[in-house]
Amino acid sequence: MSERSQIVPAPEGEYFETSRFSGLSLLLAGGAVVGLLLCLIGAVTSPEQFSFSWLFGFIYFFTLCCGCLFWTIVHHATDAEWSVVVRRQLENIALLLFALFIFVIPILLLRHHLFEWMNIAPGANPVLDSKRQYLNWPFFVFRAFLYFILLGGVAFFLRRFSVAQDRDGNPRCTVWMRKVAFAGLPIFGLALSFSVFDWLMGLNFRWYSTMWGPYIFAGAAGSSMSLLVLVTTALRQAGYLKVVTLEHYHIMGKWMLAFSVFWAYIGFSQYMLYWYANIPEETQYYLVRNTESWWPLSLLLVIGRFFGPFAILLLQGIKKRPHQLSIVAGWIMLMQALDMYLIVLPSLHGTGVHLSIWDFLCPITIGCSLAFLYLRLIGKTSTFPVRDPRLIESLRLRN
Amino acid sequence: MRTPSGHKVYAIGAEYWSASELYEADKCVRAAGFKRWDVYSPFPIHGMDEAMGLGKSWLSAVVLIGGITGLLTAVILEFGPSWLIYPVIVHGKPFNWATVPAFFPIMFELTVLFGAFSAFFANLIMNGLPRWHHPIFNWDRFARATNDGFFLAIEARDPRFSEMETHDLLVETGGLHITVVHEED
Repeated sequence: MSERSQIVPAPEGEYFETSRFSGLSLLLAGGAVVGLLLCLIGAVTSPEQFSFSWLFGFIYFFTLCCGCLFWTIVHHATDAEWSVVVRRQLENIALLLFALFIFVIPILLLRHHLFEWMNIAPGANPVLDSKRQYLNWPFFVFRAFLYFILLGGVAFFLRRFSVAQDRDGNPRCTVWMRKVAFAGLPIFGLALSFSVFDWLMGLNFRWYSTMWGPYIFAGAAGSSMSLLVLVTTALRQAGYLKVVTLEHYHIMGKWMLAFSVFWAYIGFSQYMLYWYANIPEETQYYLVRNTESWWPLSLLLVIGRFFGPFAILLLQGIKKRPHQLSIVAGWIMLMQALDMYLIVLPSLHGTGVHLSIWDFLCPITIGCSLAFLYLRLIGKTSTFPVRDPRLIESLRLRN
Repeated sequence: MRTPSGHKVYAIGAEYWSASELYEADKCVRAAGFKRWDVYSPFPIHGMDEAMGLGKSWLSAVVLIGGITGLLTAVILEFGPSWLIYPVIVHGKPFNWATVPAFFPIMFELTVLFGAFSAFFANLIMNGLPRWHHPIFNWDRFARATNDGFFLAIEARDPRFSEMETHDLLVETGGLHITVVHEED
């Protein structure tokens, strides 16, 4: 069909001209600087609210970057063909984990506002004392560093070999990346799971969920695929990435559908087991979120993150129309933000929704900073891995 | 249509050297405007359905209907007894609509089960299965379709079918061993 790519890419690749977007770049840099200054004020004047808002913003972008790292790892581990043309953007976003390393510092500094267990003296709470081997400050900060070293390391090496291959087309790079990916699979699974145990489940040390790692992962993978759709569409609008065809969009849409279902499956499993067993230390999580003004938001999450996207993405046509798919992708990313909001903020405002200016400023600040860095990053290399041995197969993709 | 010896003709078949030749022949046959024809190969050839102009299968619609039927079956079988006919308090859980978490797994299972059944049976029916025999097997060389043979057969019931012209078309596309396949042995 004519929809398929007839473009034969030039061997030197396709370069994003950052200078063309200096206005946008300046705007983002300005937003980031002003935002960070305002956040500094927030951290001093209302540290309690600010720390939770910052954690919400941080964890939202952390899951997005981790999701992109996951797709890069899976691409290499499964020897995928279709994702070659979009892989460089996944690598770029995953590399932003290094920037997030800086944004985790406020969480470490404001830890006493966020994590109740840090303020309880040893011996005061028997439940906490039984968890002290894991929940203690030196180990906590060590783990935080470890997550970023491991996740960032995988992201760094996958991008490095990929960029090296752009220059000489050495097929050995593909083999090396595959090896990094195999090592990266368990690293990713463990680092993501334990990081959200620390930063999200740790908000309430009495509570636990055995589904927590998969639950966050499911949301991260689905929303980062949506982010990829948005980034790809934006780059195509700007005149780049014409190698991405409607067939690639079709596959990305299928992944969005698959992970909407997977998210619902995991989320419901967690909910139903609590509901059935009815154990107080488990149900407290949903008790807060399913009462007062949190309840409509929880309901919106279930409908907006699963039922809506599921029904829409079942249609084949929508997955082949980039603009319509982008609308769904934007909606899923919004729902991912709501999901993270409903995880973090009810720990602070147990009695009902209490919107604060910081709930918006923190994610915007982090988002502006990351978007600015991303704009700097994509200009440095070709917008797709131009000498990947599987590029031709990817260009000829058909569903 | 019958051969001079009185055999009823099922189709004219041709063999090709490779999947790519078969793929190219496909386009010619499709361009010639034939509707009743098919290709046979030992393995699935990507893009063949597109080259043949098959379009989207109706199977997904049948599966959707099957899935919705399964969902509704579960809803009726669960809510009917536990909510309307014979409400029993289990675990102190309510028996109004809020009991729905307990019912979701069954709804999911029956949706999948009915969807899978409708996919399986609709697939059989759409392919005209089960059947004992097919006229294409009257062609000796056709046994190689499961080994290394690539075949194309234009059926006699196609309105554009005529023995000579169809034969010539298959020759043009590079077909080998062009054979008239009989309806019965």
